[in-house]
Amino acid sequence: MDFKIRAAKQEDCKEISRMIIELAVFEKMQDQVKISTQELERDGFCSNPLFECQVAEVSEEQKSSQGYTVVGYVLYYYTYSTWMGLTVFMEDLYVMPEYRGKGIGKGLMSKVAQVGKEKQCTRLQLAVLDWNTRSLDFYIMKGARDMTASEGWHALRFDGEALDKLAAEAPKD
Amino acid sequence: MFKLRKAEPRDVPDILRLIKELAKYEEMEDRVMLTEKDLLEDGFGEHPFYQCILAEWQEEQSNEEPKVIGFAMYYFTYDPWTGKLLYLEDFFVVEEFRGKGIGSEILKLLSHLAMKTRCGSMHFIVAEDNRSSIEFYKRRGAEDLSKEEGWRLFRFDKDSILKMAAPAEE
Repeated sequence: MDFKIRAAKQEDCKEISRMIIELAVFEKMQDQVKISTQELERDGFCSNPLFECQVAEVSEEQKSSQGYTVVGYVLYYYTYSTWMGLTVFMEDLYVMPEYRGKGIGKGLMSKVAQVGKEKQCTRLQLAVLDWNTRSLDFYIMKGARDMTASEGWHALRFDGEALDKLAAEAPKD
Repeated sequence: MFKLRKAEPRDVPDILRLIKELAKYEEMEDRVMLTEKDLLEDGFGEHPFYQCILAEWQEEQSNEEPKVIGFAMYYFTYDPWTGKLLYLEDFFVVEEFRGKGIGSEILKLLSHLAMKTRCGSMHFIVAEDNRSSIEFYKRRGAEDLSKEEGWRLFRFDKDSILKMAAPAEE
């Protein structure tokens, strides 16, 4: 199957939004998606974008059963390790089910690696759910290490009420 | 008594010193590759990759220069479900100054900054054997996403990146 990997444009946000929800459904967390297409456009295509995105596109002849030609995406951003400097974090990687097994996921990830290499990033990191064995195997096969298993790193979060409460107790400006 | 302030270029030697002390606490001090030059370029150039808050200590009625005894390094990331996030990369208070509420005040300031800059949440990672830090965060309402939702952190190192970035040989 012929496909093209290219940098996302602002007009792609509608398709990216659609696929973000599809990925959330797969991860069984669709009720956690609060963001709109407009917010994605604002956050990804302003003068200081908060993320970058590459999309996978197929020709009209290969469009999906619902008529989509944008069939996969990878959303990533830059992080900073105080040990090693600039790193790239791959936040979302998704290919629509009917387009899997054709090298599109690999193509999207390679593009992020290429972008990371150009910016001299020393690491590419990501988070995977522990039950997602197909993805875990895919990443391990390409050389990723499970840092939670090997070094015991856990991801923590403050949000909602806990964050509000902490913020309310901050020293006044 | 202590004071919190934004880091400036002149603070780079202190920032590196504290990064190394934190790495030592995490028993990984030989992994710190960054130099003062890197920190200066990366944090105080045209497009900073990180932001930094410092905690300074000065003995009451002392004429000595305040000492930098704690820091927090953070930057902004993105959750495609909820939007902008504050990511806390490093957070450390020198041992002899712990238990005085400094860490607590730093965390509150970061939360305030998060809300002010339109962040929906604050994320960070902790090593699971660092019980005292995990307790510190959980007491204040943090959720352990690895434990509760099963998220595992994966990493590709430089060699793997170079391999993936090379053109395909198919």
